[in-house]
Amino acid sequence: MSIIVIENVSKVYHEGTSHAFEALKSINLKIEKSQTVILSGVSGSGKSTLLSLIAALDKPSTGKIIVAGEAISKLPDLHASKYRAKTIGVIFQHFNLLESLSVEENVMAPLIHSRLSMTDIKEKVQHSMKLASIEHKATQEVKALSGGEKQRCAIARALVHDPEIMLCDEPTANLDKTNTLKFIEILRTLHSMGKTIIVATHDPLFESLDFVTHVIHMEDGKCDE
Amino acid sequence: MQNSTFLYFLTRLLFKQKSKHIGAVLISILIIFLLSAVLFISTSLQSTLMQTLKNQADFTVTRLKAGYPTQTPLEWIDKISELNGVSAVAPRVYGQYFFTPREKSFLIIGVDFFEEQNAQILKEIIGNLELKPFLSEDSMLVGEGVKIFLNAHYFKKYFTFKTPQGKFKKVHIHKMLAQESNLIANDMILMPLKLAQEILGMEEEEITDIAFNVPNDAEWDNIISKLHLMFYDVRVVEKREVQKAYENLYNYKGGLFLVLYLITIVTFMLILYQRYTMVYSTERKEIGILRAIGWSINDVLKLKFYENIVIVVVSFVLGVVLAYGYVFILDAPLLSQIFLGAANLENSVVFIPSIPFGLLGSIFLFYAVPFLAAVLIPAWKIAVTSPKEAML
Repeated sequence: MSIIVIENVSKVYHEGTSHAFEALKSINLKIEKSQTVILSGVSGSGKSTLLSLIAALDKPSTGKIIVAGEAISKLPDLHASKYRAKTIGVIFQHFNLLESLSVEENVMAPLIHSRLSMTDIKEKVQHSMKLASIEHKATQEVKALSGGEKQRCAIARALVHDPEIMLCDEPTANLDKTNTLKFIEILRTLHSMGKTIIVATHDPLFESLDFVTHVIHMEDGKCDE
Repeated sequence: MQNSTFLYFLTRLLFKQKSKHIGAVLISILIIFLLSAVLFISTSLQSTLMQTLKNQADFTVTRLKAGYPTQTPLEWIDKISELNGVSAVAPRVYGQYFFTPREKSFLIIGVDFFEEQNAQILKEIIGNLELKPFLSEDSMLVGEGVKIFLNAHYFKKYFTFKTPQGKFKKVHIHKMLAQESNLIANDMILMPLKLAQEILGMEEEEITDIAFNVPNDAEWDNIISKLHLMFYDVRVVEKREVQKAYENLYNYKGGLFLVLYLITIVTFMLILYQRYTMVYSTERKEIGILRAIGWSINDVLKLKFYENIVIVVVSFVLGVVLAYGYVFILDAPLLSQIFLGAANLENSVVFIPSIPFGLLGSIFLFYAVPFLAAVLIPAWKIAVTSPKEAML
């Protein structure tokens, strides 16, 4: 059964204005549980827009997105927040971390309103930091970290609530070769854990990875498998 | 459980981002400090004056000549005493004595130390005074300002007055009046009535005015009418008029500060609002990140509310505590001069603690509500936009 179903999804920015721009054009896509999917394409092809719609960070102009049986494309804010807090883990290109906080405080942030006890939260944070190989920097402020370490901190934060789906938006765009390889190893581990992973990237290295299930090419807001 | 993790995160965020809040906290402390200090000063002054006026006579009458106060005849005392409802009628003698070389003046007050009404007031400003040694020679009680001034001119134990008739009168400095009474008694000299008459060049049957009480308030207007019928050249001053004059004086000065406060607070809130609505602010990004990792709009607003209520409360408490120390421990250097004005003799007023809790509560509300609004409205505006847009 497909965990993500995208039906006829379009996204138009500045809709109804003279500078309206159609970023996605009638996208239809199905992604099965535990698959690792690469969305490839040049900048501006619509990869990041599609990821943000799946993450419910934005709403499609038309069409429907169903994730784990729930239509998320028109969710009201409270439900969209719960969906993000429970089902989805996002790794952003620019990491999007709270710079003044430490690694463990950043990783803890998604669980603050989770009704878990402090002990449980700390346990999950430790586990997640270990998975992302960043536990040795737990008390370090994020602004003092290198690009690779920030990336691993962002991974730990995305994993802390044990989401079913991991969305990675240009995850290696700001990393050197060594850190890119480390990131790929972490992805491999996540794949082996049965996570559904979608990576939006223009790095051809990802297309040849042995654990990648599908590579979807995107161009001018359209995709072809 | 959820609260403890939230509080933990809140305190970490506040502590780690202290540099972000330090400006708002410092400005808040300064505004609260200034306003509280002004309130403490005006309330303390008013309460001290009202306390002093409480023991003053209900009425004082003076004779007018060509529209100006002149010596009041002693025989008026008997006529006023005959009015029904009048009690404790007492003569008063006072006047300015100029210390010509320095162009300073003292207020000489002649008092009948055995008169019951005077005894009450005197007890307030000098405590218990043993009359026998005091009255055994020509003696006086002086305010702190007078004492310091005379000391500086080498009159440490006595001072020689020059009467209008050109005679010299040596008077022993018996004691200094309590520092707490400086507000009214700084330039005051208290001495026996007859001695004051001699120094001020008045005849024995002349007095400055007559003080008396009318215990039944309902009779006050009636008594005033009777006095005007009895004496065509009389000026009657009621205690409540004096009280009102003092209240107006300090309310007016306090009011000016209130206007300045309101202008300052509006400016500050506009700056805050501007800061939080800045398109590329870190605030905006932070809200976007929290929303992207699963925080709802309410969660974000809750965090911003508690973050800023902590700032408001800390600033308020620090501002009020600093103002308390500044006014009641340091006696409000600089600011006190604005309230007291240019003094004849340098006055080191001691402010007696008096805290207007009601007013402080109002200040808190008037400060907290606009402060929170200035922060929460822009935060809400960011939180309701798409997280993706906010993170840009």
